[in-house]
Amino acid sequence: MEVEIVKGLKFHKKQDVAIVGAGMTTFKRRLLETGKELSYFAVKQALEEAGLDIKDIEMVVMGSAPDAFDGTALKGEYLLDGAGGSDRPYLRVFVGGGTGVFAPIAGYWHVASGLADVCLVVCEEKMSCCHPHPQSAFKYIWDPILDRPLKPNLIWIFALEMRRYMHVNNIRHEDIALVSVKNKANALDHPCAQVAEKITVEDVLNSEPMALPVRRLDVSPPSDGAAALIMVAPHIARQLTDEPVWVTGVGWALDTTHWTNRDLYFPRYVAEAAKMAYRMAHITDPRKQIDVAEPYDPFDYKELHHMEGLGLAKKGEAPILTREGVTARDGDLPVCPSGGLLGVGNPIAATMGVKACEIYWQLAYRAGKRQVAKEVTTGVCQAWGDLMQVGTVMVMSNKR
Amino acid sequence: MIEKIVDPEKMRHFPPKGGKIELYWVYTSGRAGEEFFRKLREGKFIAAKCKKCGHRYFPPRIYCEFDFSETEFYEITGEGCVEAFTVATLDLNEEPMEEVIAMIKLDNTDGKIIHVIKDAKEVCIGMKVRPVLRRPEEMKGNISDIAYYKPV
Amino acid sequence: MAVGRKKISCPPYAEGTALSERDISERRVTIFEDHPNLVYSWTAGQAMSRFLNELKNGKLIATKCEKCGRIIFPPRIYCELCYKPIDGWVYVKDTGTVQTFSISYIDPDARPLEKPVIVAVIAVDGASPNMGIMHILGEVEPEKVYIGMRVKAVWKPENEREGAITDIKYWKPWRDEND
Repeated sequence: MEVEIVKGLKFHKKQDVAIVGAGMTTFKRRLLETGKELSYFAVKQALEEAGLDIKDIEMVVMGSAPDAFDGTALKGEYLLDGAGGSDRPYLRVFVGGGTGVFAPIAGYWHVASGLADVCLVVCEEKMSCCHPHPQSAFKYIWDPILDRPLKPNLIWIFALEMRRYMHVNNIRHEDIALVSVKNKANALDHPCAQVAEKITVEDVLNSEPMALPVRRLDVSPPSDGAAALIMVAPHIARQLTDEPVWVTGVGWALDTTHWTNRDLYFPRYVAEAAKMAYRMAHITDPRKQIDVAEPYDPFDYKELHHMEGLGLAKKGEAPILTREGVTARDGDLPVCPSGGLLGVGNPIAATMGVKACEIYWQLAYRAGKRQVAKEVTTGVCQAWGDLMQVGTVMVMSNKR
Repeated sequence: MIEKIVDPEKMRHFPPKGGKIELYWVYTSGRAGEEFFRKLREGKFIAAKCKKCGHRYFPPRIYCEFDFSETEFYEITGEGCVEAFTVATLDLNEEPMEEVIAMIKLDNTDGKIIHVIKDAKEVCIGMKVRPVLRRPEEMKGNISDIAYYKPV
Repeated sequence: MAVGRKKISCPPYAEGTALSERDISERRVTIFEDHPNLVYSWTAGQAMSRFLNELKNGKLIATKCEKCGRIIFPPRIYCELCYKPIDGWVYVKDTGTVQTFSISYIDPDARPLEKPVIVAVIAVDGASPNMGIMHILGEVEPEKVYIGMRVKAVWKPENEREGAITDIKYWKPWRDEND
């Protein structure tokens, strides 16, 4: 007999988890500051918002993607002092690009399990160190025997996935380009944005080809930056604020590394991760119950792909929602109101600043000019990475 | 049981002669490093003091790692004491060499650095040493701008 | 809970000093450049060693799992779904179907290529559905490639083969006699 196993169901948490503060640095192609200094600035801002001192922090989670970017082996340990990890339990987690949401998930374990009442989550990336180009670091994520002799560029896998997605769901590039137009415009309101601009669909379609169908404006840029988030137990949250944002569900899943053995048109890993998070958050109809979403958008098609994986749209329906303006900041389901990676920048793990931090700010009504028009109670953020195989999902709500 | 390769000649490595990692890295020295190496070019040493707890960082930092408060830069002589030392007899490629590597505690700071000691007949713990800088036009903006330490 | 619209705009400030490429290349800021000499040789292991040795003979080999019935390609010595050792070796054909493709204008270091390359995921005939590998397409104009296109491997001459995935020069369009 086949029994459906839903991961995360046997979960009994010790206490609820609230987010009380977040911070991030600017995202730019090259920054003068070292990774330690960037982490410090992000943490400082989060502490200020939470009204906490570094001495109140019990444990620290650091999220940072491959060491090959910063060019320091043991990057977690290297960043420790700037991330506030001195003399505390400190842990580095990393699942490639998925780290931006996986690090807060790890922070959630720390608090939900009762091990810590105050946990600081820091994410940092300094991609500009890596030469000749940050993309060169990705040469070494390919299978050394099967893929690398073909001299692949990382963009290849996305181009292949995008083509498959367009083919199976019969989607035109024009519809996908709308995502880039929307996110880059949204980012105009973000003080940290790297590539915010007003562009048109034609600009995207006429931009320089990288690996067709992917063109220059379909892609988010490499960036330097850091972000931080503070997670606390309910009794601490009560002392600090009247409006904490609660983490109601977390989920993560990975698909096989043999990516040429999967059908790429649908992100199964995201769907699995979402299933786990939604079960925990008691969400049965994500399209109706979720008010604002921050799916991972390193490429414009990826936002659509992930919306479908998250159940926010049926298969092939996400481009229609985008065209109809449903996903705009004043729409019924605002998606990437921050401007996402496409507009604000893509410092791999530090994208926590536009994913988990942004959903927190939206639900706390602190997003300022970026605040979505509709009333919000529940939001979801998601990240994705490794060799197109990991999905990490976190559901938050401003009602307990 | 399926047939397996038992002849080691037939087990493969790839690339057969090894493949070089073709990456290289360019590191910026950050806000504190920028200030430190700029001053070093003028022949001056700086350290940083936490505005809250007074911890004196060397090499200087812009933040205090213990209470996350800001720091302020102040000038020091650059002289210090040997806290520990070792005599290195093999280099990175295991070629013979001989160099005294010491951990030096800088005067008027709580910080230490690792550096080479030269021109010393004998090295002992507690020995006072002073830095010898490269000429400003040879300086590159990294720790080798201090050529070596020698006994006072 | 008192959740209401607050006029706080987060993040309140965006710390960080942007640099241009020239700031680095002209050394307007202090930098340290490191060119480490790291050399790796990756062990191919049982399955891949056999696969590479068979490539030298101009053949593609897969493994099979009798529990789930899959012909697994590229081969591995375990079935990752049933989580058991595989049950044997099977030769598959050097023909296949394009699952998806891309036309790349950049090399691994994001430098422009003189001539774009066509890259595709090819599901190989004889293996289970979706069992594909990534490879290059040749003898075809980029505009003529489509998903579902039938392709056949073009091998290097036998004396030039070295037991690498590049022993297949590229895959070219091909028409099945039965089609």
